[in-house]
Amino acid sequence: MQKVKKGIVAHCIFVLLFSALVPLRAQDAGSTISGAIVGVTGASVANAKVTVKNLVTGQSFEAQTDAAGRYNVTNLAPGEYEVGVSAEGYSTNTMKVTVAAGESKVADVTLAGALSLQDLGISSDQAQGTAADQARLNKRSHMLMLHQRIGLIAAVPLIATVATSFGAGGRSTSTTDRYLHLALGSAAGDLYFTSAYFAIRAPGIHGTHSRGPIRVHKALAWIHGPGMILTPILGAIAFDQKSKGEKVHGIASLHGPVAVVTALAYCAAIASVSFKF
Amino acid sequence: MDKTLLLSFLLLMFPGLAPTDSQWVLEESTLTYHVSHPLHQTDGVTHAAKGKGVCHAGQCDFLIAVPVKSFDSGDSNRDLHMIQVVRGGQFPMIAVRTRLPEDASSSAILLADLEVQFAGQTVQYKQIAFQHVVKGADTLITGTIPLTLTDFKIDPPSLLALPVKNEIPVRVEMKWREM
Repeated sequence: MQKVKKGIVAHCIFVLLFSALVPLRAQDAGSTISGAIVGVTGASVANAKVTVKNLVTGQSFEAQTDAAGRYNVTNLAPGEYEVGVSAEGYSTNTMKVTVAAGESKVADVTLAGALSLQDLGISSDQAQGTAADQARLNKRSHMLMLHQRIGLIAAVPLIATVATSFGAGGRSTSTTDRYLHLALGSAAGDLYFTSAYFAIRAPGIHGTHSRGPIRVHKALAWIHGPGMILTPILGAIAFDQKSKGEKVHGIASLHGPVAVVTALAYCAAIASVSFKF
Repeated sequence: MDKTLLLSFLLLMFPGLAPTDSQWVLEESTLTYHVSHPLHQTDGVTHAAKGKGVCHAGQCDFLIAVPVKSFDSGDSNRDLHMIQVVRGGQFPMIAVRTRLPEDASSSAILLADLEVQFAGQTVQYKQIAFQHVVKGADTLITGTIPLTLTDFKIDPPSLLALPVKNEIPVRVEMKWREM
């Protein structure tokens, strides 16, 4: 009998201790936000991404809905949270939920169907580009950048060639000046045609038409392009005549005027696109 | 029969009688980006944006989309360069999504959270202010979206070794009509 009494007392002490501990554990336990994600038709949305963000600390917790569209985020500190839900084919939706310590809140979210580009009459072909299209644009930009840089460099010997023409032509008999003029002209020509190569070979983009200053730039090429071919030919004839001690005559006398027009057209072409990026 | 029951029965039988979700359509628009460079300023304009809004349960979802190549700065060479820089060959559309409460149209200023898809990136812009004016059947929306190049991981193009500014604000003028 004494043993039974002791057992009952021990049991009561255990129950009292246990029952005293349970509420303490419940108070310590984190809060929970759970719920169901459905579409406007009421259908469950599986695999939706649920982000629960504490609006005070900024701490975020993520969950994914199960096949029944349900989610559960546990061990949350008490406070105000923003529940954000996103799923493929649906608009993102958010709602605010405040949970007290140890509280479990239900936050069901309805997702509306997302508008798509197809809803705007934009086909998937129009909406999707290709790496090949981008590569073509990249190649075009790269080649035009080289065209621009080499073209700018070419302007230096070109102007210097025009400047040295006064010592090379006319009544001057200095062979040194003629050779300097020839060397500078050759350098200008080489750079010019290298630059032109990159402009001509840069891939075109289907469906685009020239607008703005680039039209002037291209139009001027019809002047300085032939000029850059003609000028050295006339210059070679003039050089030959001068080397023979003759006065420059005939078609070779056009070397100077053609060169000046060519140089002016070239400088104007540079100026026409100098203020682009 | 109880009137409510009768109405419920009619709505079930004829869903068309139920209050339908409203829709909005973008009728006209002008979008203008602005690029600043130490040597000059450039604006690119498009009127090619398409847009739609669908309202349901007090919330309206809007989608506006515009082709990258539709922006015209007055220089085709610069426009092609812009398309290349913003990866427009691979990502030819700019799409903007937003969600507004259906009653947002009652205030003169709309504060919208925007989700912008551009150059292969998706960026959120919070609480962007738009002026809102109702003129007859049309609703006019104007405002500026503060896009930046770094937001979309775009390398700033440069002229004479000077890069353009990171900020490329896009001025938005839209005329919407409820269908």
